[in-house]
Amino acid sequence: MTATTTPEATFGVLPRADGSARYSHAGYTVTGSVNGPIEAQRREEHAYEAHVDVVVRPAAGHGGTRERHLESVLQSSLAQIILVKSFPRSLIQIVLQVENSPENDYVNTKLVQASLNFGIMPALMQTAVLALLSAGVPMRATATGTAVAIMHQDGAKQTMVDPSPRDIEKARSVHVLAFTSQDELLLAESEGDFTVKEWDLVYETARGICCRSRPQAKEGMAMLLDDESTGGPDMRQFLRSTMESKVAADLHWK
Amino acid sequence: MAGPTISLPAPIFAKISPHPFLVRSLTRSTAADHPPCRANGRATQELRPVRFNATSLSHAHGSALVRLGDTTVLCGVRGELLPVERIPQFRPVDKEELRQQGENNNGNCGDAIGRGELRDYDLLVPNIELATGSAPQFLPGVPPTTLAQTLSTRVYSLLHSTGLVQAGDLKIWYSPKEQRRGEDVEMGGTGDKEDGDEEERPVAYWVLYIDLLFVSFDGNPFDVAWAAVVAALRDTRLPVARWDPDREVVVCSKTERRRLNVRGLPVACSAAVFMEKEQSEAGAGPREGGHWLLLDPDRLEETLCKEVITMVVDCSDDETRIKSLEKQGGTLLGRELIRGYAGIAERRWKEVRTAME
Repeated sequence: MTATTTPEATFGVLPRADGSARYSHAGYTVTGSVNGPIEAQRREEHAYEAHVDVVVRPAAGHGGTRERHLESVLQSSLAQIILVKSFPRSLIQIVLQVENSPENDYVNTKLVQASLNFGIMPALMQTAVLALLSAGVPMRATATGTAVAIMHQDGAKQTMVDPSPRDIEKARSVHVLAFTSQDELLLAESEGDFTVKEWDLVYETARGICCRSRPQAKEGMAMLLDDESTGGPDMRQFLRSTMESKVAADLHWK
Repeated sequence: MAGPTISLPAPIFAKISPHPFLVRSLTRSTAADHPPCRANGRATQELRPVRFNATSLSHAHGSALVRLGDTTVLCGVRGELLPVERIPQFRPVDKEELRQQGENNNGNCGDAIGRGELRDYDLLVPNIELATGSAPQFLPGVPPTTLAQTLSTRVYSLLHSTGLVQAGDLKIWYSPKEQRRGEDVEMGGTGDKEDGDEEERPVAYWVLYIDLLFVSFDGNPFDVAWAAVVAALRDTRLPVARWDPDREVVVCSKTERRRLNVRGLPVACSAAVFMEKEQSEAGAGPREGGHWLLLDPDRLEETLCKEVITMVVDCSDDETRIKSLEKQGGTLLGRELIRGYAGIAERRWKEVRTAME
C-alpha cells in the first residue's frame, strides 16, 4: 500500500463551486466539484428528473475511452442516490479531477490507457459523495465504495483491500463494490478469474469496510450525517466523522 | 369511468407511453393458456437465439457475423506486422523471466509478462462503430457516442483480462540455427557463413485490429459484440511469417496460414431490471411495486431499465469461472440474485457454445 492508509478529506476547497471536496486515500487524490441544480442544456433536459452529469479528468492528458466508462458507471450510480425527481429539467454537474494516482513502476507509463481502472473507482465515488454533501444536494442515501483484490500467493488465496496498481496487475481478480447507507449493493464491478464462492468472500470483505454497523443512535441531522463513507477500514465512520467536524466548524459562531 | 375510450394499436401505445405498456404486457396475459410475457413476446427469462456466421469477409484474416434477434454485429480481425525496431520502448522479455513466470502460473491466465506485452505494445486494437441507421438514436456525423466508447473499453479490458489471445502467439521469432539448417538441406553445407553466436530473438509482432460494426441495433450490445469478437478470433488464420535475414524484413507466406490459438470461450450474459413503479429510486425504504429481471433486453426495454448486470462466464473447464461482472445503476440486485445469476449465465454459455460449433 502506498501513501496514506487512512482516508483524508477536506471540504470547500474550491470557493466558486456550489460544493467541493478533496479526498485522498491509498495513493489517490481526487478533487471534486459539484454545481447544481443548474439550468440544463436543451438536449440533456429531462421533463421529470434532473440530469446528472459526471466529468472525470485524469491526472495527465485528456480523458479517453476509459474516462468515458468511469463517467458512465458513476453517473448511473449517483443518479440513483441523488433525489433527481426533485429537480426536473435541471442539471447537477459533478467534475472530478484526479490529482494524484499511484504509479506502477514495473510497466511503461502510457498517457492514454484503454483498460478499466479499478483502483480509482472507489476514490472517485467517495469524492463525488463528499462533494455532493458539501453542495447540499438532497440525497436519498450516501454511498461508500471499496476495491478488493484476490491474490494467489503460495497456493493460498488472499483478499487485499485497496490494492496498488502493481497488486492489481498480479491479482487473480479485482473487484469494486459500493454500498448505499441502507446496506444495499449499489455497484459491483469485477474482472479477472473467480468463482461465485470467491465473489462471496469479496462481498463480505467489502461489506465489512463499507457497512460497519454504527453503535450510536441516529440523531436529528440523520440525513446528512447518517452515512458517510471513506476509503479505508470503516468507510462509513470516516464519512460521518468528517461531516460532523465540518458541521461543527460551520456552527462555531453560535 | 364514463367518457370516450380510446383504443390504440400496440406500437403507438408503446411509443407514447412505453413504461405502462411494458408493465401491462408483463402483468396481464393475453390468453388463458399464455402466461404474461414481455412486449416482444418473450418470457422474462427467455433469451433470443444467437446465430453465428464465420468467415463472412474475404479480405480479413478472420471475421464473424453474429445475430441475436435484431441486433447484428459484424466483426473483422486484421493482422498487421509490427517490427520490433518500430516499437519505441522495446524491451525483450528475458527467457529466464519467462520460464519463471510460466512455472509460477502453471499456464493459468495470470500470465503477467505476456499480458504486459499485449498492453505495452497495443497488440490488440478493438474498435466499435455503431452504424448510422442501425437504430434511430445514432445520428450521422457525430463523434463516437458514450455507448460506443464504453463498449470498446469493456471489450478491450475483457480481451486482456481473459487472456483470450496470448502474446506468444502473436510473436514472430527469428532463430538463426533453424534457418541455417533449412539452408543446409537446400544448398548443401554453407554452414559457417553466419555468426554461430546469434541468439533466437523476436523480430516482429502481429497487431490484431478488431473492428466491430453494428449493422442493426436492438439492445444488448455488449453480449453480441463480445460474442462476435470471440467468434472472429477463433476464425482468425494469420499467414505464416518468417524473418528474411538477407533483406532484413519479415516475409509472409502466400499460401500457408496458421490458426490463431484462442484460449477458453468466455460468454457474456446481460440482463436489466425493470421496475413496476417508474419513479422508484435506491433506498426508497419498503419497496413498492414489483420488478422483473429481463434477460437479454431489447432496445425498448433498455431505455426503460436503469439497473443492468453483465456477467461473463467460461465453463470450458468443469468449474464455472466468472471472468467479469458488472452491475450498476440500482440496488435491487443483491447478493442472492447475483449468485443465482451465475446459473443463468451458465445456461447461456451452453447455448452459445452449441451455436458457435
